[in-house]
Amino acid sequence: MFYRLSGIHHTRYESASQLWPIPADRWQVYALLALALAAPLLVSDLYLTSYLLPWLIMTSAALSLTLLMGIAGQLHFGFAAVMAIGAYTSIHLVRFGLPFELALLGAGLMAALIGGVFGAAALRVKGLYLVMATLAMQYLVDWIIVNVPAISGGAQATLQTPRTTFLFLPLHKDEVRYYVALLWVVLVTLLILNIKRTSFGRALVAVRDKDFAAAVIGINIVRYKLMAFFTSSFLGGVTGAVLAYCFYQAVTPEQFSFNVSIQIVAMVLVGGLGSVLGAYLGAAFVLLVPIVLTNAVAYLAGLGLLSASTNLLAHIPLMVYGGLIIGFLLFEPLGLAKIYDNLRKYFLVWPFRHARS
Amino acid sequence: MKRTLKKAAMTAALAVLVGAAPVQAQKEPIKFGLLQDFTAVYTFVTSGYNQGQRDYLTLVNEMGGIDGHPIEVTVVDTGNQPQRGIEAYNRVRRDGAILVDFLSTPVANAMVNRVLEDEVVMLTVMHGRGDASDGETFPFVFPLMAHYWSQAALLVEYIDLYEGGIEGKKIAHVHIDSPFGREPIPVLQELAKQKGFTLRTFPYASPGNEQSATWTEVRRFRPDHVFIWGAGGGQAVSVREAIRNGISPDKILSVVWLAESDMHNVGADIAKGVKRFEATVTGTDTPILQEIMEKVVKAGKSAGDAKEVGNTYYNIGVASMAITVEGARLALKEFGAPLTGDKLRRGIEMIKDFDAQGLIPPVSYSSKDHQGGGFGRVSQWNGKSWEPVSDWHNAYQDLVWEKIRQEAAEFKKGR
Repeated sequence: MFYRLSGIHHTRYESASQLWPIPADRWQVYALLALALAAPLLVSDLYLTSYLLPWLIMTSAALSLTLLMGIAGQLHFGFAAVMAIGAYTSIHLVRFGLPFELALLGAGLMAALIGGVFGAAALRVKGLYLVMATLAMQYLVDWIIVNVPAISGGAQATLQTPRTTFLFLPLHKDEVRYYVALLWVVLVTLLILNIKRTSFGRALVAVRDKDFAAAVIGINIVRYKLMAFFTSSFLGGVTGAVLAYCFYQAVTPEQFSFNVSIQIVAMVLVGGLGSVLGAYLGAAFVLLVPIVLTNAVAYLAGLGLLSASTNLLAHIPLMVYGGLIIGFLLFEPLGLAKIYDNLRKYFLVWPFRHARS
Repeated sequence: MKRTLKKAAMTAALAVLVGAAPVQAQKEPIKFGLLQDFTAVYTFVTSGYNQGQRDYLTLVNEMGGIDGHPIEVTVVDTGNQPQRGIEAYNRVRRDGAILVDFLSTPVANAMVNRVLEDEVVMLTVMHGRGDASDGETFPFVFPLMAHYWSQAALLVEYIDLYEGGIEGKKIAHVHIDSPFGREPIPVLQELAKQKGFTLRTFPYASPGNEQSATWTEVRRFRPDHVFIWGAGGGQAVSVREAIRNGISPDKILSVVWLAESDMHNVGADIAKGVKRFEATVTGTDTPILQEIMEKVVKAGKSAGDAKEVGNTYYNIGVASMAITVEGARLALKEFGAPLTGDKLRRGIEMIKDFDAQGLIPPVSYSSKDHQGGGFGRVSQWNGKSWEPVSDWHNAYQDLVWEKIRQEAAEFKKGR
């Protein structure tokens, strides 16, 4: 049902090797893309700027990290620092006089360089030890930003993003910001989807599954691990710049603190390690569910259904949120994307059951 | 005699207001958004501060609102996260809020551009950008009370005037290693040069639960006075470590963030003598607090625990709203309803020598000065409560304003 396979014959390699060979998948993607493109007309600016925009940007961040954590198997607990490097670099470059488009590239390159240096630690350590090395990156970058006023923007440690344009469109309009974020998340999505099917991606998967086994079959582990860190940090850096310009409009060190790193890791894990759809679902869950819960509790309290002190009311969403995370992970340890995958597989062979995994 | 007269006038006014209430309640409400951090970093201050704000607004509403307009408050938790602050802000703005208060530096700093564009008044009482005092660069941002630069300058002047001069003394500035902890350093350095005292800074790592290594260093420096510049749980740790390292409590001077609860955490008797900056009167002896006790707390309409009433942070909350309501009242009188963000801003800028019936030092605002002069005083812990040990005054404002203008110019350049 829905995902009908009968009558679909691929007679050319191009059609068989396209990203979504099953029409139902393809149509879903097209429909979602059309909705995303029409979003500024469909939703009010509250939902556009406070929900869709941050969601798309944080999805790009989660996608960048899923390349490293999900596909290449390298844990990174300092990804917010990578984004911070991108954000600060882009702002300083634009203030220096570079056009925004080039500043985005510069942001990516700077983040990739510094991220790559710390990634070099990955050549020697694995697992929890790599977590420690990346944590060190988070704290070092934080410390440098706070302690060098030339970077952080003086005593206030706040840098406003300068007014600029993207491809001749003014970047201070909500719609333009939204479309820049959308363009970026579509680019990253396509990139990750395709990386998974290339020799680069397969080599990363081999490294993830067992690195010395990968070495035995002729994969240069040093090179691929470094490339994974470089690529992922590049994407993270550009995402940081997009986050600064399109959403925050002012950067402070707290926006890229350790908590944010943990949030991005949570997005990747709750969504499903290595899954592209998972990055979207995970980002929505981590970013938007607390807001929705807070508003729901406030609404209930407004109706008089919940009478408690302000402090307790503020903490109820946190409790529910914690319960939800535990619940989802118990229900499906492989993440939110796996829940969709199960449904899809069920319908794929319906009314039979043998393809359920 | 004067007081009785005032009281009588107040009661009369109240009678009129109550009598007229049903008619006046028809007027459109004025909406404020208190979008604060109840669950993350600022929890130590938010509950008291927010309760003070809401209790005062309840009192105003009980007395018929501002010129008949009731005040509607939206309270939202932002968890100190800018993205949640942005969502909450956009939501209340859509509902017509003309004033927001985030009580969180990261969130408030991220909102500066937005409030300037949307013409919504943002309060940054004891948080946010210090240079927001410059009303010409930040027309919609109001620190309302003495900001950190003014506080540091005032503490220096206090030592100079009341503790036998500051020249030749050794001052240790022990601070949390964050932008907030570093903020007063440039002003202190400049003052050290002008006044001829030795300044050394000692950072400790955030959040400040563990400071012993820092204080060993401080002891070696043998300071005459110690400034502690932190917030929340770290402050009690600072006081305890200072005393453990042989620094007499009366040599400790703190930024505004040192409350009754911190003193009880240290040990109310041990901490006897500790001094701090304060911007409002503490306790419930002022007329406004008395009224809140009578009409809000005793009537069971307080937004929180009755024990909080009169505490440091509670009173700061009350003062922030007292000033705002005065501004709104002036704005309504001058420009008429409906109130907008721009009218409210102009209203606050019209306030002259307002002291909230003795709760705060007399403050005046203008289109240039959104800090209100930077007044405050030093108070000392006597084992039970905070006792003022200096008069209301402001210190070295020319130096502070030089810094404000310099930073504000940087902000303008970066936009």
